[in-house]
Amino acid sequence: MQLTETANQAYFDKNKAREKTCADWLKEQSKAVRKLILFAAIAGITNGVGVIIQSAMLSVILQAVIIDKLPWASAITPFIMLAAVFILRSMCVYCHQTWGFEAGAKVRGSVRHQLFARILALGPAGIKHYQSGELAAVTLEQVDALENYFSRYLPQQMIVGALPLIMIIAVMPVNWVVGLIFLFTGPLVPIFMALVGLGAASANRSQFLAMARMSGYFLDRLQGLATLKLFGQTTQELVNINKVADGFREKTMAVLRIAFLSSALLEFFSAVAVALVAVYVGLGLLGLIHFGPAEHISLSEALFVLLLAPEFFMPLRQLAINYHDRAAALGATDAILAILDQDTELLETSDSHPGSTDLIEFINVCKSYDKRQVLTDINLHIAAGEKIALVGESGAGKTTLLNLLLGFEAVTEGRVLLNSLMVNRKYAAKAIAWAGQNAYIFHGTIKENIALADPDAPEQSIIDAARAAGVTEFSAQMPEGLLTPVGERGYGLSGGQVQRIALARAFLKNAGIVLLDEPTANLDAANKRLLLDTIEKLFIDKTLIIASHDAEVIQRMDRRIELQQGQLVS
Amino acid sequence: MKDLWYFLKLFKPHGDWLAGGVFLSLLTALASIALLTLSGWFISASAIAGLVAVDGNALAFNFMLPAAQIRALAITRTLGRYGERLVTHEATFRLLAGIRSWFFQQLVPLVPGRLSAMRSGDLLSRMTADIDALDALYLRLLLPAVVAAVGVTAVTVFLAFYAPVISLTTGLMLIIASIWVPWVFNRLGRAGAKEIVGLAAYFRIRQIDMIQGLADLIANQAYRRFSGFLEQFSDLMINTHRRNNRLSAISLAFTMLLSQITLLMALVLAAMAFEDSLLSGPDSALVVFRVIAAFELAAPLPQAMQMLAKTQKAARRIRQVAEMTPTITKPTQPLALPGNYDLQFIDVSFRYPDQPVWVLKNINLNISQGGKIAIVGANGSGKTTLLQLLMRYYDPEQGSVLLAGQNIRQFDADELMSCFGVLSQRSQLFAATIKENLLIAKPTASATELATAIKAAGLENYIGYLPKGLDTWVGESGVKVSGGEARRIALARLYLKNAPVLILDEPTEGLDSDTERDVFKSLADFAKYKTVIMVTHREAGLELVDVVYCMEQGVLSEL
Repeated sequence: MQLTETANQAYFDKNKAREKTCADWLKEQSKAVRKLILFAAIAGITNGVGVIIQSAMLSVILQAVIIDKLPWASAITPFIMLAAVFILRSMCVYCHQTWGFEAGAKVRGSVRHQLFARILALGPAGIKHYQSGELAAVTLEQVDALENYFSRYLPQQMIVGALPLIMIIAVMPVNWVVGLIFLFTGPLVPIFMALVGLGAASANRSQFLAMARMSGYFLDRLQGLATLKLFGQTTQELVNINKVADGFREKTMAVLRIAFLSSALLEFFSAVAVALVAVYVGLGLLGLIHFGPAEHISLSEALFVLLLAPEFFMPLRQLAINYHDRAAALGATDAILAILDQDTELLETSDSHPGSTDLIEFINVCKSYDKRQVLTDINLHIAAGEKIALVGESGAGKTTLLNLLLGFEAVTEGRVLLNSLMVNRKYAAKAIAWAGQNAYIFHGTIKENIALADPDAPEQSIIDAARAAGVTEFSAQMPEGLLTPVGERGYGLSGGQVQRIALARAFLKNAGIVLLDEPTANLDAANKRLLLDTIEKLFIDKTLIIASHDAEVIQRMDRRIELQQGQLVS
Repeated sequence: MKDLWYFLKLFKPHGDWLAGGVFLSLLTALASIALLTLSGWFISASAIAGLVAVDGNALAFNFMLPAAQIRALAITRTLGRYGERLVTHEATFRLLAGIRSWFFQQLVPLVPGRLSAMRSGDLLSRMTADIDALDALYLRLLLPAVVAAVGVTAVTVFLAFYAPVISLTTGLMLIIASIWVPWVFNRLGRAGAKEIVGLAAYFRIRQIDMIQGLADLIANQAYRRFSGFLEQFSDLMINTHRRNNRLSAISLAFTMLLSQITLLMALVLAAMAFEDSLLSGPDSALVVFRVIAAFELAAPLPQAMQMLAKTQKAARRIRQVAEMTPTITKPTQPLALPGNYDLQFIDVSFRYPDQPVWVLKNINLNISQGGKIAIVGANGSGKTTLLQLLMRYYDPEQGSVLLAGQNIRQFDADELMSCFGVLSQRSQLFAATIKENLLIAKPTASATELATAIKAAGLENYIGYLPKGLDTWVGESGVKVSGGEARRIALARLYLKNAPVLILDEPTEGLDSDTERDVFKSLADFAKYKTVIMVTHREAGLELVDVVYCMEQGVLSEL
């Protein structure tokens, strides 16, 4: 009962090509918000220019006061300029953050939209491989994890391209040696960072996957806590949870150890630049260095370059912090693309086959999962109005047959036609009312659950459907009747009660074809008879297919279709 | 704040890591300030000394020491920053892992009596997102607060030696920037941060609902409606994010403005002090540089305070769950399990907590060891509740349940559970391999035991069919396994556990008649010397038992 290391490894060991795919996808998403990113960057660059002016004014004032011994009030112009720069910079800070946010927000909205559309396209069969907690974590946390890439990383990338260059241009005329120090230390940094950052990105992706899997793991164990208790396994499970949490910590720290290395490197360059500049201009001022413009340096020039030294590395330092955002976004993208790029079984649409008079046709249908053949060479014709019992052992392929008809899954071979049209999910949903074996009860009232197909259905028809399906029988005993809230796999409802709600759904839908999967499974004899009477009465003019192994059900239908190990037997 | 203090207790075992993080943060922050200040002082001192030297006097300035100090500070700052990051994050993750397992432990006694009603989507949200939100408590609240407090004090005291007036002004402004501004923005951001946590939890629940019920939604043409609703909801969340982002942008801009104003004031004050010869030239530069650097300390605080509200809300929700009382009470001195398994219900009446309707009324029932009974009755008649009282999901409101003549309240609930083997309609499969799912019943089972159980449960063919055999992964709640196969896995677990009392709760519900026959046949052998309590609404399987009772509206009678 643990997240095996091999399973994890298989999850994490994806090649470099994957990373490029993720990066390309992110770039693609950024196209729609290019303008906002540019605005955010411009605000950041303007702020940087403000820093240059501010440093210049500060050093001019200090020179005037300390060396030239002028009264401070005589330096009124630089003081006014300082104040103006302060206000400008504050405004830039605000704009930078709000514009950047808009870029990220827009992308997040659109990615969520894409994900929801994909979940629909995948259908129930396609999402079987995911845990629902995992999927929920992708559309919620992983999408949110994209935000900072667009709001911070991309604008900062532009800033880094422009601002250090502007600073070098500002420093060069003042002191070309310091300018050269900047010029040579500056470009080294991104090179080192790229080296360090590459590892960080892939490690970071594994961190996000671990997080998503951990979410799924916890949901699973929480749902099964009662079972764990029954087998006295809670203590053992606690050990496992600790193991998973430890694994998560170790994975994350492996990422961070590398990610922090790049920021430490920058910290180092920035600190060394300050130290180097301070010692160079300091010794120059003392007249101990004769290299370059050192001999003729003034205090204001010296202070100006000293103040700019840490600022020169500031955009890069910020980018290093944001590099983590990029890695996080890549990790999130991997999880997002795992869903967006998942192949859907394509169901061909509206491929008309006129001439057929049958309502439902299965023509040479085969279905297999991996190597397991579930349905073999099914040929089946069902005319409108027929009442059919679909029988067979569990595992014989009844549910798969129904899934094919509903368009939940695609055939491996052959064709399924509905009204002479190739079946697809949308079309099937319109034509068929379905009450599955494990109907899902949504968070909401019983009434809302019955009116799933049509929330605006008239009150009376909902009540009629509820009564016909026997829902009112138990809802009447609940505190708020049909308005009683239910949910979470029908908690508070027994299996039989859930099935009745599903039946009520089918009654209310009033479609031409009705599929019922084991409608009598949870009922006692008397209730069963009652329900079958109702079904007969309500669906008298419909095409009815009931999957069941109940002798009474079978006996009441006109025709019997039997499946044995995936094949029709007559 | 009470909620946060509650969690601070859990911090104790990780005290070393936490304190180490604070120490390194402080070291780095102070080194950073000192580096810039010293450099500024050094340059100004050099400039003045240089002027003097040009005048022809001997150079009376020791430049070796400050130059060496500058180098040392640069190295300290670099190493300190790296170490600080590592240690604080390590500390946070340890803390979170600790809280996670603590939370799980808190849940165990609440299941299934108290917690079954709670939606697992919500629980998941509590367990992962809320606990993750608690990382802010140390990393973004405690740490910056301590560093800011100590740092601001140090800077102010240091400045006081040079220029008391500047020290006072800067200290005041720093307090405004690090306490008042964060406090104000905390007040402003509180509602939004609370909203975000609530919205995210709700979004998750609705989405899990949507995914788990996908088939029903598609078949009822309702998916677009659900997903459209969620998208609107996502916009709502983003709007709240936007409001909070704007607040944090304002607080950032405002803190910057404050620091600039302070700088301007310090500049003017230093210049005035220099003119009055209260401050030397290099010291004036030192003062100005120090003020610039000091404001770095207060910068992260406004955002930290915004996190406070979010963290508080998460903490409160976790605490609410953790502090629930279990539905049953633990005996102070649990008895050891007895050697025989005679069971007795004496005048047992029961209703669910806070419900007016009696589910069971005056139940009297004797089942001696090895006895085999069945209880038949309609859905909702109270059959399953009777079993739940036996397994102590709840304790009866009146009357008592006895095992070997002792009230079962006197046994440890977990130990009592080891007496029961359960086969029910809902066989919970975990997201794990089939083998792991089987071993949960007996982790120490040998390969032979496993094979015997698989054979007895009729799983042999099915597992032989699977390419990966026993190592096949079954998905969430066993979605890739059919109902019949899931039941057989549950049956195999029953064999592995080999408990003396078998509780069969609609054991063949939803199975076809062939499988049903197989299950009962295989049970008949296995149950020969065991106590059997079966609950059903059908006739199948009744040959397994000696006595059949009927349950109607909570009243038990012999047939």
